[in-house]
Amino acid sequence: MRHRHVGSIIILVLAVVVVATALGSVRIPLGDVLGILASRIPGLKVLVQETWSVSREVIVLQVRLPRVLLALVVGGGLSVSGVLFQGSLRNPLADPYIIGVSSGASLGAAAGLLFFIPQGLVGLGALPLFAFVGAMLATFTVSRLGQHRGRLEPTSLILAGVAVSAVLTALVSLLMVLRIQNLQDVYIWLMGSLSGRGWKHLAVATPYVVAGAILALWMAKDLNVYLLGEEAAHSLGIDVERLQRRVLVVGSLVAAACVSVSGVIGFVGLMVPHALRLIVGAEHRRLIFHSMWVGALFLLVADTLARTVLTPTEFPVGIITAIVGGPFFIYLMKRGTGYHG
Amino acid sequence: MGDKIRLEGVTYSYDQNPVLENLSMHLQPSLFYGVVGPNGAGKSTLLKLLDSFLRPQKGEIFLNGRPLSSFSVQDLAKEIAMVPQHSHYFPFTVEEMVLLGRTPFYTRLGKPSDNDLAIAQEAMRVTDIEHLAHRVVSDLSGGERQRVTLARAFAQRTGVLLLDEPTTHLDLEHQINTCRLLKAKSEEGVTCIAVLHDLNLVANFCDHVFVLDRGRLVKQGTPGDVFTPKLIEDVFHVAVPKLSHPLTGRPVITP
Repeated sequence: MRHRHVGSIIILVLAVVVVATALGSVRIPLGDVLGILASRIPGLKVLVQETWSVSREVIVLQVRLPRVLLALVVGGGLSVSGVLFQGSLRNPLADPYIIGVSSGASLGAAAGLLFFIPQGLVGLGALPLFAFVGAMLATFTVSRLGQHRGRLEPTSLILAGVAVSAVLTALVSLLMVLRIQNLQDVYIWLMGSLSGRGWKHLAVATPYVVAGAILALWMAKDLNVYLLGEEAAHSLGIDVERLQRRVLVVGSLVAAACVSVSGVIGFVGLMVPHALRLIVGAEHRRLIFHSMWVGALFLLVADTLARTVLTPTEFPVGIITAIVGGPFFIYLMKRGTGYHG
Repeated sequence: MGDKIRLEGVTYSYDQNPVLENLSMHLQPSLFYGVVGPNGAGKSTLLKLLDSFLRPQKGEIFLNGRPLSSFSVQDLAKEIAMVPQHSHYFPFTVEEMVLLGRTPFYTRLGKPSDNDLAIAQEAMRVTDIEHLAHRVVSDLSGGERQRVTLARAFAQRTGVLLLDEPTTHLDLEHQINTCRLLKAKSEEGVTCIAVLHDLNLVANFCDHVFVLDRGRLVKQGTPGDVFTPKLIEDVFHVAVPKLSHPLTGRPVITP
């Protein structure tokens, strides 16, 4: 049963990728997109005739395809990170954006981008590590502030996240305004955007997101037990503190990798796991697997809208996720967390 | 017979305030123990110490003669099962939830074996939730959920069962059924230790009672020996007449 699903999911994702690649300020016929893609796959090359123009090939391969793939990676990564934060903090409102982890990552990445990478001290590949340091600092601070009598409190956690996030975002803005003077870039970074991203960004983020997803699946069984509460998890053989530490580190790393290439895209990690929990249940292996591909498609669709709705101009995809996500967050708060039964 | 569990001079404090002081106890296999006492007596803390969720600041707890602190969390989960006072419920099916009781026995990436499934099935049968196996736990009533938690603990197949107020949210029938189940478990050789507020349930079902008051063990013994009007008045500040059940002869506690 599971394998049939996986097959349909792969076909669905591929179909959306092809359509999204065809759409844009210059529309490219689906046949050309398929042909250009096939011509790059060794076994399929003989089947296609090159009838398209070079400019179309450049647009597909150099501009759109890497951005489309990056949307998949970032969307999937943010969703997995959301599952991890919600699971380890046992709080359905926790997501890297809301609890300030993304802002921390963004500050770290901005520092790397402005001070270290231009000087050639390190390459672009180190960017996620800068973001990771920032993300861990934010995670550590927020989970400390969110504690009451040694236990994480849902409300304090969210409030601490909002406060820390506000400070960090202000610091990012300050840093960027002082260093680059280009408010357009600052604004794109703060809103979260995939504009102008290419293969090198894809290469930077993908390894971390893939590794994080594998680690997340590896920890899924323990996360299931952890849902029962700390005492029950302990009595079922889980080292609660160690699990919490590991999950926060992996969640921060994945979020950091995403933020370092896309800026702060909000609410994806909140909405996707939440919607899926209602459909596939809370079992973490299922939840992580489905969050990955649904999150990937969600961000791809959102980003495709962001760059086609107002052609020839485009706007940051973070605007779309925030317009959808803000009301969703309010709805969740009003409805009660629904997480504690 | 050797002690299943032994406490020697166990002291636990929270923020300098002692919650349990110099507690020594011996617990045997095949007995159903009741722990009673007013609010704040340290009953839940005692269970958390027995489960090694908390570590005593002074003294030592032994399981099968071996210090509790020398067990890994996972090994301990094969010896002691816990039904906590508060459980969280999620969109898991009843069967998935009960199978979580088997987690200490299979590896991280492994699947539950046929044996694990059979044990979970048996645990659902004795707790009378077999017909709910494919229902989602968060949709069940309080009493049904409590039986799911009980089944999960049974599925661990441990020699020790700890229960923190397992009957609190149950109606009369399910309160009595739960106590009967625990009684039956203890007759199979399990050491059952339950914190209970209903003294009449304790009087009816438990083999041995520990009375805690302000962190100290003030009395222990069979319900008949322990539940005297004087003790009830001293510990619970309620005056009761001396009554006994006309059929069983066990004490009845009512004002």
